[in-house]
Amino acid sequence: MTLSHFEALLIFALVVSTVFALITKNTPREQFRYGVFVFLSFLAVALAVGWIMYPLPL
Amino acid sequence: MEETDEQVQASPREEPAEVQPLSMAATLAICSGGWLIPGLGHILLRRWIRGPIFAACVLLMFSLGIAMEGKLYDLQFDEPLHVFAFIANAGAGALYILAGRLNLGIGIMTAPSYDYGTTFLWVCGLLNYLIVLDAFDIAQGRKP
Repeated sequence: MTLSHFEALLIFALVVSTVFALITKNTPREQFRYGVFVFLSFLAVALAVGWIMYPLPL
Repeated sequence: MEETDEQVQASPREEPAEVQPLSMAATLAICSGGWLIPGLGHILLRRWIRGPIFAACVLLMFSLGIAMEGKLYDLQFDEPLHVFAFIANAGAGALYILAGRLNLGIGIMTAPSYDYGTTFLWVCGLLNYLIVLDAFDIAQGRKP
């Protein structure tokens, strides 16, 4: 099974943000908000770091 | 707005309103069950929604890790850093034991998704440790 970088990132972010939200927050509303925040943060940071590394000769 | 929040809090929810601390023996039994079968600790604590969600998350990550040719580490002291990988992998509980019995998680380094699979397997175990700690807090009455 081969996933693209972005697909793997999406699944990873979705699962981790779900668990983090359910563990750290108590009410469903807080859990949803925090889960969305963590999920989007994962994506944003990964995309930002990806573009920062893009010009580097690695 | 405040009335709405109060109504939401007063409505029947997943968690029971009053949380009675369990004995340490019962807490440890619940945590052991939660480690062995991810999500079981919350189910035993009557968190009917959280438990299955946790179980699904851990199972999904573990399955994907195995499918992506990730590696499961054994306890080997000749490679000290592998001990940390073993601790992370062992967090998956019965899934880790079962995969070892079935000769899964050998890890094919030439596979393009090897690194992702190995990372998924590590994180899946570490998440289950967090889930067990959450069950511990609930059983001790520290959180609803």
